[in-house]
This record gives sequence, structure tokens and C-alpha cells, in this order.
Amino acid sequence: MIRLLPSAPEAPVSAPSGAEFVVETIGLTKSYGGKTVLDRLDLRLPRGGIHAIVGANGAGKSTLFRILLGFLGASGGTARLLGRDSRCLTADDRRRVGFVNEEHSLPDWMKVGTVTAMQRRLYPAWNQPVFETVIGSYNVDPGQKVGQLSRGERAGFNLALALAQGPELLILDEPTLGLDVVAKRAFMESLMYSQATEACTIVYCSHQMEEIERLADNLIILERGRLRNMSPPEDFCARVRHFVADVPFKGPDPASVPGLLQVQRIDGLHHYLVLDQGDGFADFLRAAGARNIIDQPVGLDEAVNAILGQHHAAPR
Amino acid sequence: MRVQPLLIQIATGDSRSISKQIVDSIRMKIATGELMPGRQIPSVRGLAQQLRINPNTVAKAYSELTGEGWLESRQGLGLFVAVPRQRLSDEERERRLEEAMSRFINDVIALGYALPEASDRLEAEIEALMPRKRA
Repeated sequence: MIRLLPSAPEAPVSAPSGAEFVVETIGLTKSYGGKTVLDRLDLRLPRGGIHAIVGANGAGKSTLFRILLGFLGASGGTARLLGRDSRCLTADDRRRVGFVNEEHSLPDWMKVGTVTAMQRRLYPAWNQPVFETVIGSYNVDPGQKVGQLSRGERAGFNLALALAQGPELLILDEPTLGLDVVAKRAFMESLMYSQATEACTIVYCSHQMEEIERLADNLIILERGRLRNMSPPEDFCARVRHFVADVPFKGPDPASVPGLLQVQRIDGLHHYLVLDQGDGFADFLRAAGARNIIDQPVGLDEAVNAILGQHHAAPR
Repeated sequence: MRVQPLLIQIATGDSRSISKQIVDSIRMKIATGELMPGRQIPSVRGLAQQLRINPNTVAKAYSELTGEGWLESRQGLGLFVAVPRQRLSDEERERRLEEAMSRFINDVIALGYALPEASDRLEAEIEALMPRKRA
């Protein structure tokens, strides 16, 4: 957010406001060396609500944000932010987007009060009461240098700045990483209950399922640079089911198991985590010789783990 | 009109969604008479803040409860516990009773109580809840 970089030159046309999708990518691809980080990604995030993006390390989340914000070029495809091509965002477009990254990078040598004054000048829609409410949850003094703040205090300061600018879209890259429980709670409460976020679409990436369960309206799962799921978190949970069966011997060839995400053999019983399988899956297990079959729904953490674990790197 | 305090426990990591957990516990509180008809329940935002969850999740639970007739909204005033009526079809009631019984029996059979003792206890517990429901 507080990038002290020259912004893109002012364009005469004003940004297309009221775009239906706050984020839109079509066939977005990015490769570093021989490695494809974003692989023809098609993603459309509608305006409103809290969108959580999860993915294994290296799934392309931060790269996606960097391309969307115009800090990084794509290798192929297009990316649009608030309806505008990310490569030609104007200063006005940038004013409408708040960005908080995991480093909470702010100039270390500046005083809190100086950074705040600078931001206030930069953003015409600056909302001082919102800034004060959010920063009030953290023990931050205007006379302190940014470099002297703790990680949690910097996170709070960063969020206060981003919300006070009155953004239409707030992008957060693992914002609560490394925060203590109190700071984390204050951070989430500012996000959910601040008046500044009422009209704001939030796009947020995290590895913390508990947080996502409390926060997210929409769950986006990225895997190796591709979209694996986009739905409300509970709809995603409903797609994954856990079956336990006494299949004899080694059980059916994993390649033949429909919707298989994960299989584990414990005490001679086979545990299957499967995707999009109805009661027909029990018939499949019976056909494989199972006599006792039970199944149960799973929680978000287990469901996301199962899907990301399917192709996750593991020692052979 | 004062808002009735509402204490609910939710757990993340549960296979029931948070919204479903809210629906279940409010239904239980109405059925047992802890929440009386006509009382006002917390606002969407208020309960969201209390539970530290997204307000949309509370709104979803409330709309399910309103749809099933447990709650009613009064224009501009908020949400209230509705006057009870039988909300489920006969088959659905029967199915739920069946389900609850089998869960209960699974737990109790393992404890090895003699039948008269177990059924007396059950009767006493149900009786203790019933009169309040009628009040």
C-alpha cells in the first residue's frame, strides 16, 4: 500500500467504476525460469464480501497480487483490477485499492505521525475517525519511528492506513502472519466490524483455516497456479467426505477410486477422503469387498488439507 | 424492548458450519424455553461481534431460522422469537426422533444401567423441560 514508488502516469480517462468484478484474470500465466507459477488462471471475484484465497506455499498467491497491482508483469493472459488492465492502473485507481502485505513494509526511518500525514495528503477520501479507531487497538505513538514498532503494531498501523484511505478494494497478503493472539483478534475485528469495510470488497490470503472459517464469504483454492475451487467455505466442505471401510487386502488400485483425494490404511481399515462422491461411493467400496462402511462429513481444515495434499510435494 | 442475552458456543474445525451451529443452538434454546416467544434476539452485527465471525454468517443463520418459523422479524425493530407451532412435517419429526434415539441409545447402552433406572432418569429430564415450553 505505502509503496513510495512513482505511480503510473495520469491517464485522462477516469477509471471504469462499478465494474462487476473487482478482480478478473483470463488465462493469466507467469513463469520464473522454467517454473510456471500461474498457469492459465481464470478468476473472477465479484464485488462485495470477503474473499479468502488459500493454496500451498508457491501456489501463486503473492505473484497473483503483485501482477494485479501492476508491480510485476505477466508472461501471458490478462489481469484486471476494478475493471482496469493491471498494466495501466492510474493514480486514481490506486487510491481506490488498499494493500497490506505480510512484511507490513513501511519506511523504517520515518515517524508514525509523518507517515500518517503523508498518507492523509495522498488520499482525498482519507477518513481520520476510521484511522483513529483502528490504530486505537494498538499501542502506537505518533512520535515513534516505524522501525521501532513490533510486528503486530506495524500490522495494525498498516491496516489503519489502508482502511482510512477509504478503499473500494482491500488486498491483504497473509496479514496476520506472526501476530500474537490479541493482535490477531484486533486485526480481524477491525476488518469485519469497522465502518470503513462496509462498502469494501476484501481479498485476503492466509493459511489459517480457523480465521477463514470465521471471516470468509467466499473460498478460493489455488493449486499450482490454477483455480481448484471457488464457493462459500461450507459448500466446499460439503464436497469432501470421509469414508472408513474394511476393504480386504490392499484394497482397490488408488487410480480406480473415484474422486480420491487421500487414502490411508490404519489398523487394517482403509480411510478414504473423496471429492464429490455421493452414496454411490459406498457401493464402490462394497463392490471392492467391504462389509462395514461408515462415513462422515469433514471440517474446513481437513477438507482443504485433503485437496491441497493430493498433489503436494512429499518425499518418495 | 430489551434484547435477550444469548450465549452460544461455536467451534471452528467442526464438520458443521458456523451458521449451522448457530441455527442448532438457537433452535435448542427456543425448544427448551430458554428463549421465550416474543423476546428480542441480538442483532446480526451484535451476535457477529460477540462470536467474532463474519456478519453474513449470522444473517444466513437468522434467515434460516426465520424461514423455518422459529424467529420473526418486525419491520424496523429487529428479530423476535416466534410463537411456537409445529414446524416440521410428521415424517421429518419421526425421522429426527429416530435419529436422536439411536444416538442416545448408543451412548447409554454402554453405561450398563438397568432399564428402569435409565428410563426413569430420561422421563424426569424430559418432564423438567416440558412445562417451561408451555409457559
